[in-house]
Amino acid sequence: MGCAKDIVEHCGVPRFVFSDFPLGNSAGRPFDVESQAQTLELALRLLESAPAARTTVQSPQRWSEDASWKRDYLDLATLTPETIAERRREFDDAKAVARRRREAT
Amino acid sequence: MTTLPATPAAFADEHDVPIRYMQRTRDYYLALGYAPYRWAHFADAPFTPLRTPLSRARVGLVTTAAPFQPDAGDQGPGAPYNAAAKFYAVYSQPTDGAPDLRISHVGYDRAHTSARDINTYFPLARMKEAVAAGRIGSLAPRFHGTPTNRSHRTTLQVDVPELLRRCREDAVDAVVLVPT
Repeated sequence: MGCAKDIVEHCGVPRFVFSDFPLGNSAGRPFDVESQAQTLELALRLLESAPAARTTVQSPQRWSEDASWKRDYLDLATLTPETIAERRREFDDAKAVARRRREAT
Repeated sequence: MTTLPATPAAFADEHDVPIRYMQRTRDYYLALGYAPYRWAHFADAPFTPLRTPLSRARVGLVTTAAPFQPDAGDQGPGAPYNAAAKFYAVYSQPTDGAPDLRISHVGYDRAHTSARDINTYFPLARMKEAVAAGRIGSLAPRFHGTPTNRSHRTTLQVDVPELLRRCREDAVDAVVLVPT
């Protein structure tokens, strides 16, 4: 169950329920039990009936009528030279933290 | 009798397509000055038909979410990316509880997702309901968390074999993987 169609299909998996939702909502909409139950049901049906590997079914649920949210993820239009420098610093800091943590475990 | 002119179909907006994450990520990190990441890509994907009716099958669950760690900073809803909350080894917890798992160590869509509801990224509660309804035979006694390690070698040679070993120990018929 996932929200990144291109990444999962590029990898290649046996069966895939794709929800066209913002990343983080692979299992359905927040605080919406029906949405989550329907998303899971699609996954269960795929387990039962997919005919071959790389079967994708796209959930019919829409995140919102307005699809403008799709423009925002890692939107390059928001990157100024200052933002780039700041984001690079944040990324390097995060890598350093992760490396220290990895080496400690 | 007159014929009506053909009505153009009301197409969705051009940008209303599944987000091209690989391209966005590549372009973003190139703009920051980093080499692009090479995404996993296989020519073949495995496939095994489900051999047991689902209503009698034991189903497992695998997540990339992390158990909450009190000493690892902000992991709450809306927390910025938190590298200190990453984990580096497969972990397992019982499915008969209500685990506290977070995704602050992951690059999810923070602008449009609050991660306030665990059920959007960890469907254990809905799976339990499916068992209660007879849709699934049973859940595995434990679920497993797998690291999101950028190293292909570590993922393929260390984490995935360990994950497989634990799933086989659980004697599951199928596994639902819910990555974030």
